[in-house]
Amino acid sequence: MNSMTAIPLLQVKDLTIDLFTEHAAVRPVDGVSYDVSQGETLAIVGESGSGKTVLNFAPLGLMPTGVSVQTGGQIIFDGQDITKLSERQLRSIRGKSIGFIFQDPMSALNPARRIGRQIAETVELHLGLSATQAESRTLELLKLVGMSDPESRLQQYPHELSGGLRQRVMISIAIAAEPKLLIADEPTTALDVTIQAQILQLLKEIQSRLHMAIVLITHDMGVVAATASKVAVMYAGRIVEQGPVHQVLVRPWHPYTTGLIDAIPRAEDMPGSLFRGLPGAPPILGGPVEACAFNPRCAYAIETCRNRRPPLLATPTPPVIAACPVVLGQWQEGGAP
Amino acid sequence: MRILREILSYLAELPKLALFAVGVFIFLGALGPWIAPYDPNIQDLLSANQGPSGVHWFGTDHLGRDSLSRLIVSARTSVVGMVLVLFIALSVGVTIGTIAGYKRGWVEEILMRIVDVGLAMPSLIVALAVIGILGTGYWNMILAMALAWWPGSARISRAVAVNVMNRPHMESLRVLGANPFRIYFMHLLPSTLGAVLVYATADAGAVALSIATLSFLGLGIQPPTPEWGQMLVDALPLLEWSPRQVILPGLALTGAVVGFNLLGEAIALKRVPTLLSSSVLKQRRATALLWKRS
Amino acid sequence: MSGGHVLRVENLVTRFKSVERGKWITAVDDASIDLKPGEIVGLVGESGCGKSTLGRSIVGLEKPDSGRILLDGVDLATLSGRKLRDTRRAIQYVFQDPYASLNDRQTIGEALAEALTIKGDLSPAGFRLRIRTLLEQVGLPDSLHERYPRELSGGQRQRVAIARALAVEPRVLICDEPVSALDLSVRAQVMNLFLRLQQELGVACLFIAHDLALVRQAATRVYVMYLGKVAEEGPSLDVYERPGHPYTRALLASIPSADPRIAAKRTLSAIKGDIPSPTNPPSGCRFRTRCPLAVQACAEAQPPMVPLSTGHAAACIFAGQENPRIGLSQTIGAVV
Repeated sequence: MNSMTAIPLLQVKDLTIDLFTEHAAVRPVDGVSYDVSQGETLAIVGESGSGKTVLNFAPLGLMPTGVSVQTGGQIIFDGQDITKLSERQLRSIRGKSIGFIFQDPMSALNPARRIGRQIAETVELHLGLSATQAESRTLELLKLVGMSDPESRLQQYPHELSGGLRQRVMISIAIAAEPKLLIADEPTTALDVTIQAQILQLLKEIQSRLHMAIVLITHDMGVVAATASKVAVMYAGRIVEQGPVHQVLVRPWHPYTTGLIDAIPRAEDMPGSLFRGLPGAPPILGGPVEACAFNPRCAYAIETCRNRRPPLLATPTPPVIAACPVVLGQWQEGGAP
Repeated sequence: MRILREILSYLAELPKLALFAVGVFIFLGALGPWIAPYDPNIQDLLSANQGPSGVHWFGTDHLGRDSLSRLIVSARTSVVGMVLVLFIALSVGVTIGTIAGYKRGWVEEILMRIVDVGLAMPSLIVALAVIGILGTGYWNMILAMALAWWPGSARISRAVAVNVMNRPHMESLRVLGANPFRIYFMHLLPSTLGAVLVYATADAGAVALSIATLSFLGLGIQPPTPEWGQMLVDALPLLEWSPRQVILPGLALTGAVVGFNLLGEAIALKRVPTLLSSSVLKQRRATALLWKRS
Repeated sequence: MSGGHVLRVENLVTRFKSVERGKWITAVDDASIDLKPGEIVGLVGESGCGKSTLGRSIVGLEKPDSGRILLDGVDLATLSGRKLRDTRRAIQYVFQDPYASLNDRQTIGEALAEALTIKGDLSPAGFRLRIRTLLEQVGLPDSLHERYPRELSGGQRQRVAIARALAVEPRVLICDEPVSALDLSVRAQVMNLFLRLQQELGVACLFIAHDLALVRQAATRVYVMYLGKVAEEGPSLDVYERPGHPYTRALLASIPSADPRIAAKRTLSAIKGDIPSPTNPPSGCRFRTRCPLAVQACAEAQPPMVPLSTGHAAACIFAGQENPRIGLSQTIGAVV
């Protein structure tokens, strides 16, 4: 109950990320702020080009070769500003105080090494255990993630496991060092629904046991509702709406959030009836625009939306904030902005 | 025009030195006889074994032939031989590889077992054996080397062809009911050829080296046709007091082989990303500076 | 005409050689489905259930080991060569990945022209106009015909792939996860395109997907597959509202609700365990290792399709019983 007064574990303040590649300079994250406390799950929702993945991976030095990262703003994790750390300091945080789960466990695991060895390696590295100690800890971890017959699993290779079991292995590696924060990038997108339900349940159990904070990157509102307490909706590198899940998903303010939620098929939709969605296509990554990036697809767009950047405003359902001054009555057609 | 521009921008990204070495090699190969200052086969025993001078820039050999002219015309011998060997080897290899990749099943099994046998033997040994049976001679050498080289390209072609056939855009052609002729000649063959030619670049150096090796052993290019391996044999007895005559063809050969290898490697590694150069980074930073931070 | 069906698949079996020597994977095991003209039918199931293999077998991308595929009553196995290609062309396939299903060296116009050339009943002079019509049908501007696939968004590419399929005037479209690679906000656009094509052109669609909610709204009838077998079939509303097979019930219970008020009341994870390996499927009912209702009889024989109502049937011995020892939370130990 003291989470109200305690300092959040992760505070992102006005974060801007520029990526430079051989061909272009882009700003996939533009002035984003949020925080996550221990034991809390924040879902970051967005489509391709929304910047949701870059936001979480670029500041930790997880970008492919050939991409240069420049950050502005602050990311205060556990009392220190991550944007100021060197690669060596980041390395000691990655995998130790911050764990990662990726969408495709097969490409995140080494195909040529046994499961047990891969988990033990992480344990040895981050907890400084001996080989025998690491082995018993590995067994403990596999039991924790609900693997059946953990002793024989240790000897198996990733390709011998199903997608769901591989994701359990990934989770056991991610939580090996009992991280304070877990970043999960579309952890169930590649899985079947019955397996997805198991994995989401497992994440919840582990979270309450280890009291971790989780940042969950996803595009699936069902996953958000099932696991997160807070949600930030991103569009073209900016947060367009943010607040508690039980408020945002029930009463969205931003036309984009409304559109996304409206697009989910409902029980009362008859077979053969038209699908609801948004017109147009998601934005292509580029430089920042002095406008609302959503305006070409928006039914509420007025002239001001095309030449002014909409600020995040308080809504009638606090603490939800949304970046749509039109819906919130601040900008009017024809009126002076 | 668009294709030309694409090729130029592609070449601009490859290592300049390798491009230069290969460029010179091919240029001399194509135009050698017209560039060479002298006829490479005219003997002048009175001016044999002369050092470099204004008349003979690179000196003369033991028969008084102009070394520069012989070096230049040798490039032609090499290029023509190399092109012939690769052309025959690739034609056979790509045909067999793509048929295996297209038909699959038992056709593939049989063809690929034959290829495996070919691959199991070192190419130079195969070439030596063939020449041993057929006897020495220019065309026998070309044939021998093509026989030694085709299994490699067949193996690569098959791998590429299988991959191409499994791509959804090829599968959609099958679903559209395209006849096998269209699928094979208009889609599979061009796609496979493109990929296989990349590997051929890396192989070209090895072929050039093998031609020189066979000639050095007296099994390839026969005198008096100028050829680097030949020049090395001729100059060997003079190694002690005129090392120039050994070093020059050696350098030429090394340049061509290293050039092709570097080029092949660069093409193969082009897909692997590298760190941004500082000039590009500076440009990108400047772009970002123009963005107002709001 | 075979009972008014445009496509009928009877007892289809498709097997693959396993990577393990001497073992076979029966990807599709004795599956029968049918489509009426202009009907959208869903085919759902988890990965490895054989739904894609079934679709691919119908268009000839995989070779079935036994069973019959009838197109307008004609058994495709009786045809070969050119005759087979010309006949089978009436069934077209839309692939999941719009980035790989177009040749990146062909412009959109070239790709469509190639399909028209293959069909071969239109002279090249008429191509230009036909391409314009095709692009219009899928909601794309004519100006796109000079572009390359890399210049298009995922949604646009998928529309082009659909236009190419339409170029040969198909009677059946098999759509294999056609929107799962697309962004959430554009999925509806492509789904509505399918609905429109079905109405305007009378094309029948077999809609293969893992997204149950999507299929429910698009399809009037649905087949549920599990480990190569059809577990349940019937009108969408019946299957979704009165599922007869415990697997269908489990699938439906696993979909997380996007409404936090419902999500808070429900625990997910309604089903235990993993899908068994298709190289060594369980005896009897394929689902019994994960089934909360399984009894000894389930291990002994494969359950027949039990009719529940008109067109609705489930392959479960408990199907249709008033109170089939219900309660998914209550797990009875799997029978070995």
